[in-house]
Amino acid sequence: MEKIDTEFKSDLIEIAAERYKSGRLSRRGFVSAMGALGLVPLLGDRAMAQASELVVCNWGGQASEILAELLGKAYEAETGIPVRVDGAGPSAGKVRAMVESGAVVWDVCDSGAGSAIVMNEAGVIQEIDYNIVDRNKVLKGTALPFAIGNYVFSYALSYNPTMLPGGTPRTWADVWNVEAFPGMRTFRKSVRGQLEAAALAMGVAKEDVYTFLDDEGIKAAIAKFRALRDNIIVWGSGADSQNLFLQGEVAMGNIYSTRAFLLRDQMEPGTFEMTFDGAVLQPGMWVVPKNNPAGTEAAMNFIATCQNPELQAEWFAAIGNAPINPAAAELVPAELAFLNPNSPENVAKQVIYNDEWYGKNQVSAEELYIDALIG
Amino acid sequence: MNEKLHYWMLALPALAVMIVFYIWPVLNIWGISVTEPSTGLDNYTRMFDSNAVRVSFVLTFRIAAVTTIMCLLLGYVLAYTISNFATRVTPLMLGLVLLPFWVSVLVRSFAWIVLLGRSGLVNDALIDTGLITSPIRIMHNELGVLIAMVHVMLPFAVLPMLTNMRGIDDSYVKAARGLGASEWRAFREVYFPQTLPGVFSGGLLVFVLSLGFYITPALLGGGRVMMISEYITYQIQEFLNWGLGAALSVALLVATALVLLVAGRFVNLRKTFLERG
Repeated sequence: MEKIDTEFKSDLIEIAAERYKSGRLSRRGFVSAMGALGLVPLLGDRAMAQASELVVCNWGGQASEILAELLGKAYEAETGIPVRVDGAGPSAGKVRAMVESGAVVWDVCDSGAGSAIVMNEAGVIQEIDYNIVDRNKVLKGTALPFAIGNYVFSYALSYNPTMLPGGTPRTWADVWNVEAFPGMRTFRKSVRGQLEAAALAMGVAKEDVYTFLDDEGIKAAIAKFRALRDNIIVWGSGADSQNLFLQGEVAMGNIYSTRAFLLRDQMEPGTFEMTFDGAVLQPGMWVVPKNNPAGTEAAMNFIATCQNPELQAEWFAAIGNAPINPAAAELVPAELAFLNPNSPENVAKQVIYNDEWYGKNQVSAEELYIDALIG
Repeated sequence: MNEKLHYWMLALPALAVMIVFYIWPVLNIWGISVTEPSTGLDNYTRMFDSNAVRVSFVLTFRIAAVTTIMCLLLGYVLAYTISNFATRVTPLMLGLVLLPFWVSVLVRSFAWIVLLGRSGLVNDALIDTGLITSPIRIMHNELGVLIAMVHVMLPFAVLPMLTNMRGIDDSYVKAARGLGASEWRAFREVYFPQTLPGVFSGGLLVFVLSLGFYITPALLGGGRVMMISEYITYQIQEFLNWGLGAALSVALLVATALVLLVAGRFVNLRKTFLERG
């Protein structure tokens, strides 16, 4: 079973396209980042068995271009090894097929914790070398033996204050309070990041969400959605959720923080707000396939380069996916800081996405969830 | 005999295309439904046990039925008007019926989003005229799906009925009138029964096409009006669950075939599907 959330990855591509068009990436300029890096050539002189190139695989589109221009160029500046980004989508199945057939072409892959666990069990990815990669430069809990966090996004409570003259929702309990906060709500057409909201609305403490969501807890959370369903419009893709807010179809909802990042720009001032209170924080992961062509060290060096807080902050400003390195929080432009799900203040407000729970419960929960919503 | 062979030879390319690109894939789908993830009827037991699947099937048939009824009511009036009264503007009216065929369903569905949205043209107009004070919900629910589906399906109801009505000799109605029947009685007892084959044809066509509808419900249903074809997509795209997705499509195919089988007792299927226009 493929557990990685490929939809989110492809969503980043669309967001990147919009960012790119609006000129944000070039305006802020990775040139300045390059300059900053040029002053600190961390690994530039290290003698290496020179690989001719390093291939990073992610999920395609403009997200690939940004990865190549921002992180790829930075790595090349440090090591002299050019980076090529392949947007083919490194699903667990593809990585496995590649490694098992002995024809590995990817050095570093943009994956997720769930997929990484699957790939590790299949024995197709390498241990992360924590002599090169810094386990302290990532969000706590995302430095696994065989994978390490690369960036972060959240499922966050967003709302349009102008459609809520009686007051704005602060908690998920408010979202379920239709009398006090009338209007349509939007939730994802998947339980990811959504059942947690229902659990919080029932008064479960955020630390206890996944222990609460056992078989009985799942049923209770699903029942909450059934009760609310006449007020729910479901979003399928990130673009859907964005449109629902843009067209004023919904007053509030649970959407990707990356989409909220865009809506802040697109909507009139005062018509869109987002809070990380009770949001669900989900990290993406780097993994390195076994027998990667450029060698272990080159791949680990790339991951280490990407941990650079300045680059992480640039990456956030470009596409809205947030720095995995907590130290990057203070480098994020002040006007965007509150939109960063991985700043210490915002992390403290959120539930951390639990891949193990999803591995165990997602499929059965999705069935119940759809059953509760349709009809 | 030889001549027959020649005709078969002529049909061969089309037949080959059908077999390679349609029949063969469909058979493969049937195969997947009993082999993935394990060989057996697991997918079918899961399907019958699932409440969500049941809800989706009921929803699909309900929407198809309501769409059919609405299309027949609206279409009948339209076809009747075109064939009996609008003699000079007939080409224009026919053109207007056919026009939507030239615009893709996707574009038409997006057009309905613009019209029916919370701040869409319909709601804005109603608010401006003072009929309502706050926007009403005519989209992202079953009503929105029905409105758009009736629009998409209307030509499929109108055309068979129009063909049928144009073939009706008006001397029967004249005779009834001459014998003293009121206009209503002449319509009800003489004209209407003659139009029933067209009504059944149009109705069947709309119903069967509606069962497999995907784009319109997906766009206008707000995610909660999940008809069976959207449910299939969801299973395959979200969970890579090809087995259950395939089983569901077999079920939809069987259900559609059953509808045709039952309808075949009342409607001349050959006429409905082969002798249009």
